[in-house]
Order: sequence, then structure tokens, then C-alpha cells
Amino acid sequence: MKYKIFMILGTLVLLVPLGLLSDSPAWGEWESEYYMKILGFIPKGIADAKGIKPLLPDYSLGSSHPVLWYYVSALLGAGLIYIIMLMLSKIGTKNAK
Amino acid sequence: MHIADGYLSPQTVIVSFAVATPLWIYAFKRLKSELNEETIPMIGALSALSFVIMMFNIPIPGGTSGHAVGATLIAILINPWIAFISVSLVLLIQAVIFGDGGISALAVNSLSMGFVASFSGYYLFLLLKKYKFAPFIAGYLSLVAASFFVGLVLGIQPLFWSEDGRPLYFPFGLNISVPMMVGAHLLFGIAEGTFTQLIYMLMHKSEERVYEV
Repeated sequence: MKYKIFMILGTLVLLVPLGLLSDSPAWGEWESEYYMKILGFIPKGIADAKGIKPLLPDYSLGSSHPVLWYYVSALLGAGLIYIIMLMLSKIGTKNAK
Repeated sequence: MHIADGYLSPQTVIVSFAVATPLWIYAFKRLKSELNEETIPMIGALSALSFVIMMFNIPIPGGTSGHAVGATLIAILINPWIAFISVSLVLLIQAVIFGDGGISALAVNSLSMGFVASFSGYYLFLLLKKYKFAPFIAGYLSLVAASFFVGLVLGIQPLFWSEDGRPLYFPFGLNISVPMMVGAHLLFGIAEGTFTQLIYMLMHKSEERVYEV
């Protein structure tokens, strides 16, 4: 059953550019300009929001080669999550012993 | 369903982390008890799968798009506590590396897509498990439940936190946020349900091996 989940994961990573077909944002995940247009102002908290600067904002780096960056994002994200989960598991089993 | 930084009042942020933190600690403890040679790579791969499936944005009419989450799949294949911690990790990576969802909203996002989806999906699956399409229905309704929770949290923002009639954070009230969130996810739920059903069947999981919470 182990190898099967990796086959599924690999297949989905290969297909991941399909996720780029939609360029509309999710409901409630708009750019600040949207509020300007709809409300005539940007709510203070949203305008002042200070986030950290992400490494690959919106799963891309700049506007060129979106498919390539989407692949990079999928591999980077999936790889990181897999490794961190294994590390968490290691800590877990060590403590259990 | 990824709430961004600046959408929630500081009070909402504090309460959400106060609720989520003990749940994360308990879930981490549960992670230890579920681990063995077979589950360790499975949990890692299922968490990675949840990240990848969220990258499949599906457009719906009305200029909106959304995606499946994969929480119910992990909940019924492994355990809902593990699903909660897996999805929380996915959301952390999305927030930090990809700017998808806010750091300040991490607790609310983890509670909706992680906790609410995992546990509603898990119990619905247990309730329906004699039926062939239990994974579909559980996945479908789990996403709708999570979206209802998000709608509530967003919708109370202008109710409590406005200044001179102007909302300070998320501006649309419950009368808009709940129907919009739930309405859209009545459609995205189909993706979640199909994903859950398909992978569940591919994994050939036998019914007896559903873990106890």
C-alpha cells in the first residue's frame, strides 16, 4: 500500500499545471484593490496587514514561466511537508521509547 | 478558504490560537501513538498529497475558484487527529513559503480545513461506512462544514469590529459570508468527495481497519 500512495502523489504532481487553468481568486481571497472597487475603501486591518515576505508568492516567481514555477512549488511544498512529517515522526517515536 | 493576514481582528486571532494550541499539542501526542513502519511514510505522503491537491484550483461560475483539501481522506485512512496535524502543517508551509493564507490566520485556517473538516468527515464516514459512497459523502459534507465555519468567523468581523460604520477587517457580514462560502463549497465539495472516494478505493482500505479516535 506504501508504493501506491507515492504513485498517486507523483501522478498529481505531474498534472499540477491543470490548477493554473483558473485565474479567478477564491471567495474572500481578493487583492486589496477589490475592496476599493466594491466598498470605495480598503478596511484598515487589510490595508495595514503585515505579512512575512513569502519565498514563492502565489506559487510563482515573477510572471514568467508560470508552469515551471508551479512544478517547482509542488515539488518543494510536497517535499518539505514529507520531510517535516518524517522528522516529527522521528521525534515522536524517540519520545515514546 | 485560506484567510489572509489582516482579515481577522486581533481578538479573533488570540482566541483562535488559544483554542488551536492545546489541540495541536494533543494531536502531536496522538501522532506518536499512530506511528509504525507502515504509517510513517503514509502520513508523510498523505500530507504531501493534501498540499498538492490544494493546488488544483477549480473555477466555478461567478468568478470564483476553489479546491479540495484532502482532510477527510487522511482522517479515514489514518485518524482525524493526524489529519488535523497534517493539514495544519500544509497550511503553515503554504503561509510561510507561498503566501497562501496568513500567519495570523493559521489557527483559524487549521481549525476550519484541519479540525472541522477532519472530524466531520471522520464521523460521517463512520456513520455511513456500510455504504459504498461513504467516502464521497463524508468528503463532500466535510468541506461544506469547514466552509460554514469560515463563513461564521469572517462574518462576525464587521459585526464586532467597525469604526465609524466602516469595518476594520473582513467587511462582509454573516448574511453574505455564510451563504457565499457555503454556496461555493456545495460545488467544491464534489471535488473533495470525488478525491476522497477515488483515493480511498485505490488504497483498498478494508472497513475493519478504521482506527478509533
